[in-house]
Amino acid sequence: MWDHVKQSLQSSMGRAMESLARLLPGILAFIVALLLFLFIGWVLAWVVRRILAAVGFDERMSRSAPTMADWSPRLTPSQLVGRIIFWCFFTAGVMVGVSAFEAGSSENLVSGWILGYVPHIVGAAILLLIGNVLARYVSRSVLIAGVNLNLSYARLLSIGVRWMILVITAAMVLDHLDLGSNIVELGFGILFGGIVLALALAVGLGSRDLVSRSLEREASRVAEEQQPERVHHF
Amino acid sequence: MAAIEFSEETRAQAERIGSADIVVGVSGPVAGDELRTRAETVFGLLGPSFSSLRFVFAWPAAAGEAPAVSLAADQPAALTFFPFSWPGQAGEFWAGVSAHQRAVLALAAQLNARACIVLGPDLAALHPHPLQLFAYAVLERQCGLVMPLYNAGKHDGLLNSGILAPLGRALYGRRIRYPLAFDFAASGAMCARLARLDSHQNNHLASSLLWPVTVAATQSAQSTIGQVHLDVHHQTASTGLDLSAVLAQIVGSLFQEMEACAAHWQRVRGSQPVPVWGAAPAEPAEVQPVDTRPMLDSFLLASRNLDEVWRLVLPPNTLLELRRLTRLAPEAFRMPDELWAGIVYDFALAWRLRTIGRAHLLGALTPLYLGWVASYIREVSGLSHADAELRLEQLSRVWEEKKPYLLSRWRWPDRFNP
Repeated sequence: MWDHVKQSLQSSMGRAMESLARLLPGILAFIVALLLFLFIGWVLAWVVRRILAAVGFDERMSRSAPTMADWSPRLTPSQLVGRIIFWCFFTAGVMVGVSAFEAGSSENLVSGWILGYVPHIVGAAILLLIGNVLARYVSRSVLIAGVNLNLSYARLLSIGVRWMILVITAAMVLDHLDLGSNIVELGFGILFGGIVLALALAVGLGSRDLVSRSLEREASRVAEEQQPERVHHF
Repeated sequence: MAAIEFSEETRAQAERIGSADIVVGVSGPVAGDELRTRAETVFGLLGPSFSSLRFVFAWPAAAGEAPAVSLAADQPAALTFFPFSWPGQAGEFWAGVSAHQRAVLALAAQLNARACIVLGPDLAALHPHPLQLFAYAVLERQCGLVMPLYNAGKHDGLLNSGILAPLGRALYGRRIRYPLAFDFAASGAMCARLARLDSHQNNHLASSLLWPVTVAATQSAQSTIGQVHLDVHHQTASTGLDLSAVLAQIVGSLFQEMEACAAHWQRVRGSQPVPVWGAAPAEPAEVQPVDTRPMLDSFLLASRNLDEVWRLVLPPNTLLELRRLTRLAPEAFRMPDELWAGIVYDFALAWRLRTIGRAHLLGALTPLYLGWVASYIREVSGLSHADAELRLEQLSRVWEEKKPYLLSRWRWPDRFNP
């Protein structure tokens, strides 16, 4: 009996080692392809940054697109282009690596599924990134503008705007990933419609007095502002 | 460096005039007929010492008005009127004023004028005395640049008193009370320098303002800068404009200049008084008390809401100080000068480092500025005009004393700053 056990253990070990040996070239090919593309991406990004710096790309961009610095305050336009090139090469490296893995391991099911899904993941990641940047930028703009307009509910407004953008982004990302698309659409519709309906009911019924008082206050503020100012800033 | 390009017509008219001794330019569109009438009256009152000088009155031509040179009707040929046009676009508020000021200065340089006197578009300074003073300082006392000393009330020009003047003085070492003025005068050599646009200004043409004192201090250190007392009150064109937008335009431009001239101002230590001409006008009438509650409310509202933004810009000690201020009773509210100077220096540094978007940065400065205004108004409400000026002098000295902090943070921004 022990001989049978020993034999089956040896054969399973052998099979495991054999499949590992079959996968190893693929993994190695994946790592080599990824490293190669990372290196090329890094070199190319560096070269492009140098060329853009030499032709005064940052100055030109700041002249033609002054808001770019607001979107990406810590990066100059040439740095941003360099980063984009690097990450494009990283993505290409992953795709080539997966393909090399397929060729090296003769396992085409996994790589086929991954290769088909990579564009979705990349698109979703870009959407998520844009949504996050937009949410942060817009909510901060709303907060600062609200405070400068002396709105006591400026923070609430800013948080509301941020979550609104994040919810829309999340719905778009899930839709892009083909994850529960029907549920997402339905859920988003219910959530958004619910918010609008709740606001309409709150304003129309519950907060009628509050709204009228607020409007009266605004009207009286306009009348106050028309009085001559006694402080001149300029 | 780039120079302002005039239209073909304007260039041809300028060539027809040839040269001038004094160019008096208006930094904004005006009614040509009204200007002609007033200029003729003023020219008649200037006195015999000016009769031998050739004057050119220049102003931006209104839409549809051709840039045609004309001579004064009842005067000798020494007085010429010149509505000019140039293809540049004037921006909003002070950007428009600066664009017109540059155009006037460029025109003066083209006419090889010995002096150029720039006046505000409301023509408040179009009187014999201001023109005589400006001309005297430039032609007789060989001043490169002459800035005005307005007879402003305690509650006037607070952005100038709270940020522009003390920061300009600490950076460039010249004690100029109004570094951003509607009216000033420049020598012929200085006109060409002031009219030129540096590369950083070319890049931000729409928002680039003209800072005459900065140009004179950095590009022509040998030339004298002077001041003349003017009993002039300008009607500011800021009505209907948002305070934060105007503050962002003016302070943003100042920070931009600060960044461009960093190599110069880092070498400047202390400050020097500048010569002043003209008799100081009588003190302005006592102003009515001002309710500072709305400004204080803005500051308190911001301290509750903008903490997350201020935290990115200001060091912990400053944030603690601000928090302490919010706990004070309104009547005890005082923003120390050191704190205010440090706040503006930290914002200037954040502008340079792009810690956050620049529009956000300047938006977050507005309530802090209102806090300083509330504190300042409370402090000077019981003081005379002269004592209020002394108070501003004290404030400026504190900014100078605090400059090493700015230098240290500017050079080593990553160093630990409690």
